[in-house]
Amino acid sequence: MSSGGSCSTCGLTYAYDLAVCTSCGSMLEPLRVSRRVALAVTEVATPSIGHGDVPYWCVLAEAEDGHRCVAKSSRAVSVGDTLTEDAAAPAGCIQAVGIVGSGVMARGLVELMLSRGHRVVWVGRSLERLDASREKVVERLAKAMDENQTGEALGRLVMSGSTTALAECDIVIEAIVEELEPKQDIIRRIEEVVGEECIIATNTSSLPLDAMSLGMRRPQRFGGLHFFNPPMRMRLVEVVRGPQTDDAVESMLVQFAESLGKTSIPVAAGPGFVVNCVLMPLLNEAVRALEDGIAPAEAIDEAVMLGLNHPMGPLALADLIGLDVVTNIMDDLYGRLGDEAYAPRPLLKQLVQEGKLGRKTGEGLFTHTRPPVSG
Amino acid sequence: MASFLGGPNEHQLHLNAVIAGLMPGTRMPGWRVEAACASGGVAVHQAVRLLATYDPILVVGVERLSGLPGAELTLNIGMAGDVILDQAEGLNFPATYALVAQQHMARYGTRTRDLELISLKNHANATKNPKAHFHHKKVTQADIDAGVMVASPLRLFDCCPVSDGAAAVILSSKPLGDHSIPIAGSAVRSDVISLAQRADCTTFPAAREAAAAAYSEAGITASDIDMAEVHDCFTIAEIIAMEDLGIATPGEAVKLIRTGDTEIGGRTPVNPSGGLKAGGHAIGATGVGQIYEAVTQLRGMAGDRQVVDPTYVVTHNVGGVGGTCAVHVLRRSM
Repeated sequence: MSSGGSCSTCGLTYAYDLAVCTSCGSMLEPLRVSRRVALAVTEVATPSIGHGDVPYWCVLAEAEDGHRCVAKSSRAVSVGDTLTEDAAAPAGCIQAVGIVGSGVMARGLVELMLSRGHRVVWVGRSLERLDASREKVVERLAKAMDENQTGEALGRLVMSGSTTALAECDIVIEAIVEELEPKQDIIRRIEEVVGEECIIATNTSSLPLDAMSLGMRRPQRFGGLHFFNPPMRMRLVEVVRGPQTDDAVESMLVQFAESLGKTSIPVAAGPGFVVNCVLMPLLNEAVRALEDGIAPAEAIDEAVMLGLNHPMGPLALADLIGLDVVTNIMDDLYGRLGDEAYAPRPLLKQLVQEGKLGRKTGEGLFTHTRPPVSG
Repeated sequence: MASFLGGPNEHQLHLNAVIAGLMPGTRMPGWRVEAACASGGVAVHQAVRLLATYDPILVVGVERLSGLPGAELTLNIGMAGDVILDQAEGLNFPATYALVAQQHMARYGTRTRDLELISLKNHANATKNPKAHFHHKKVTQADIDAGVMVASPLRLFDCCPVSDGAAAVILSSKPLGDHSIPIAGSAVRSDVISLAQRADCTTFPAAREAAAAAYSEAGITASDIDMAEVHDCFTIAEIIAMEDLGIATPGEAVKLIRTGDTEIGGRTPVNPSGGLKAGGHAIGATGVGQIYEAVTQLRGMAGDRQVVDPTYVVTHNVGGVGGTCAVHVLRRSM
């Protein structure tokens, strides 16, 4: 949802997120979301694609400043009601997004959020590393935007080496290293600085949410948003409900993911959710086939691509994800499930030990001719 | 060539060339006009303004809506609204006009019974129009009562049907014969697309301003109008149309409806063709079809649905929820 803007020079308001007034050229102020009251309500009984669950309610609402919006609600609303977050288009309330981490996923998420019009606060341990990653983001944005648009998008980006910069965020997504303790630590530090209403989400691909939220003061506002790499292109987001996640927070996460153009699949916080639970044994078995000399790496990938109709082979995918990330996930799942299918194969461990982590280091299961990905 | 959903529904665009394929060898200049449900009216307006360059001009409106699952068609028709402000919030077209109806009811005391009267009138008219979608179906109060709720307060028989159809008119700068009917006024206005961008949802400023411009060009006032074909995609839209065209003052259209003044034999008949409600709404064809109906009435060739001696007929074609409006004034040939 677009949040709109107003021109303090000529008084015009816009429902869209424009940078400047089309009349006088002044910079626009974003409209502040204030209390909204329902002016008219209709109960919609006809389903359409994307809105298949009927009935739902469409509300024409007016804010105190006279600005109007249309909002969908999953429960009945009456004329005169003040809209709660659920009814007042939650995704529209999420404007400032915090991204924590400086790896490939964090960078992809920053790119996605900027391209979707959000203000982004990007926090990483080292500003130098963030600066290098920023160059990559600029390069990517410039492929889809003209110079002005790129400039406008970058104008919405703030980078910091400290979590205190996250204070005004509506949602913060952590995408740091896939290990429990650092994640627990960063989540606690995020919670110390953000507002009470802020949602904290983890991009973990498999770690247990209950362990991650230990020691949180507001675990009900914590959940998982598992994006896939690269976030700009991959359409799935696993929305993970932690043991204490509020219903309203879960539905806000779903709507936020959908507002980013993604398909969201709500999943329980079981080990590996859906995708990694299914994927990791496949990757592991492909590595075993390589170890056993059943076929060369390229041939294994081609066989799976053609035989299973996968767009990419498992070994190439492991290299794309990063072999360190893959082994971390496998170790975690193996530890929690005790199933040998998840125990990382010796070749994987060996490559990680040698620092051959896949595409990002230029070598992994394959040698990559493209320059290593920084960050 | 007016059409709205050829792309999303049929994966066929470039319709001017498709039409050229029906007239092989002619190689006339042609193009497609799209302004959602106002595509037809906008195409006619463009043609009127282009007569200095091309003369005569054939305007064809066409749409095929059948054969698509309902949920997909509802999504595609929703493209006439704003994808960010409306579609993302589930505001499909019935829901949009339902909110308009809710606002009109709250402000003016309009009742669901008024909407039913419009439905009954237009369905009765359609039985007299052999080209109407509902020509063969007599719709009674019992049918209306049995209609499912679509988006409160709009029930099934408040909504126009999903129709296939086409209409064509030939425009020229001078009469092509005794049967030619003058277009005395032609105007189009665009406005913001979403209800969320309006301070008032009970009137469409684009329709008011297009009407004022078309009346001015024709040298008439609203009181000169003898008959109107208006864009009643939902019953409430006929009320809004009458008030925007000046046939009634705001909030007063229901009085004309309750007294029968908008029936074929009434003071100002509205939608003698059955309108979109019962005549059908083959989207790209609608605005062109309205011109066809106006011409048929002004020629005195409308048979059972003939309005007595109309001099001025106005057509009113709306895209989305007032985002585009085309108004034409046609006059009896002198």
